[in-house]
Amino acid sequence: MAPGAELIRGMAAGDRAAFAAFYDRYAPLAYSVILRVVRDRADGADVLQDVFWEAWRTADAYDAARGSPEAWIVMRARTRAIDRVRARRRREETFVAPVDEAVARDTGADVARQVEDRGLVGSALERLPVPQREAIELAYFEGLSQTEIAERLKQPLGTVKTRIRAGLERLREVMRRSP
Amino acid sequence: MTHEAFEDLIAVYAVGALDGEDLVRLRAHLAAGCARCEAALREAEDDLARAVPPLSPPPHVKDALLARVGPVAAPARRRPAWVPWALATAAAVVAGAAFTGAFVAIRYEARLGQMAREVSAAREQLRREAAALELLRDPATRVVALRGAGPQPEAAGRVIWHDRAGGELFVANLSPAPRGKAYELWTIAGGRPRPAALFEVDASGKGSARIEPTGGGVDVFAVTLEPERGVPAPTGPIVLASKAE
Repeated sequence: MAPGAELIRGMAAGDRAAFAAFYDRYAPLAYSVILRVVRDRADGADVLQDVFWEAWRTADAYDAARGSPEAWIVMRARTRAIDRVRARRRREETFVAPVDEAVARDTGADVARQVEDRGLVGSALERLPVPQREAIELAYFEGLSQTEIAERLKQPLGTVKTRIRAGLERLREVMRRSP
Repeated sequence: MTHEAFEDLIAVYAVGALDGEDLVRLRAHLAAGCARCEAALREAEDDLARAVPPLSPPPHVKDALLARVGPVAAPARRRPAWVPWALATAAAVVAGAAFTGAFVAIRYEARLGQMAREVSAAREQLRREAAALELLRDPATRVVALRGAGPQPEAAGRVIWHDRAGGELFVANLSPAPRGKAYELWTIAGGRPRPAALFEVDASGKGSARIEPTGGGVDVFAVTLEPERGVPAPTGPIVLASKAE
């Protein structure tokens, strides 16, 4: 069993030292994804705490056959971070919808700048061709669905799907070459 | 549908962007036990999890978490020696005070751990209720009543719904789902049910769930009893439903 899975098993048995070790090992990965979604340090720290607290409480539900510890924690982190952004947006939308829409219209910023904003410079994602990276980032960090991405990029749905798939294939190649 | 087409869907699913018909189709395909797609999905999720450069989180988060789960190395319990009062020296009094202190600390820490759990549950509840309250302020929000159907006529539910912002479901008097089962909420529009949320009910028969926006209106909200991981289309008995609009 991978060491990470061993730690999760320890957590399920109530081993606090295993939890501390699990946190040290995976919090930087989770925090990285969270911060790139919520883009606010206070919110990011809050979400990170929620994610690991949930991991501690639901460690017994982890099934090593269904995914790596990295994927387990990062997927939770991403989902919770997107929830946080949506809640924030709903709060704003209820009162200032017109302003929000104006801002949304204004953010058709170029991808190069978005990558800089997200601190992805030097990462595997940065090395994808722009159209692929853009589609993956809108999905993975902004939480948009394929239909919404197609609308945002003014591209047919089929093109969006192909870009995402090609992007993930390219990502794998890039990561294999420089792990 | 060819496997080639499923590979596109797997990629879109892995980045969390699959929706509509495609989502239903892929879920059904995975539920049918396609080992090849299952493995491809695992691989894609794994790559994505490692694609971002790690970032040191602020140290206070770890401190807060460790305080929440309790001390990492629990102090050993010790029993103070009984010393007759007549022979008590100042040193013994001091030692006694220290032991008492240790006992109080151990009990206090256990209580703190329990309180942290309670606070966390209360915070989650508060967040959900605050979200519902905010939704209620919006004039476009409606409140839909769900009545018990079939096996549980006494069950009741409310959905606070906004076409653009989604909503919240609250149920009462519903018996907890049997082992291996969960309640699943459906939004039905134009006669087509879409999976909206999986939820559990506590011992007092209450439960709640967040409902994401469907991108349009909803005619009927219904709850069925399903296998605990959820299904793409309803299969179990309807336990709660709203009236068609």
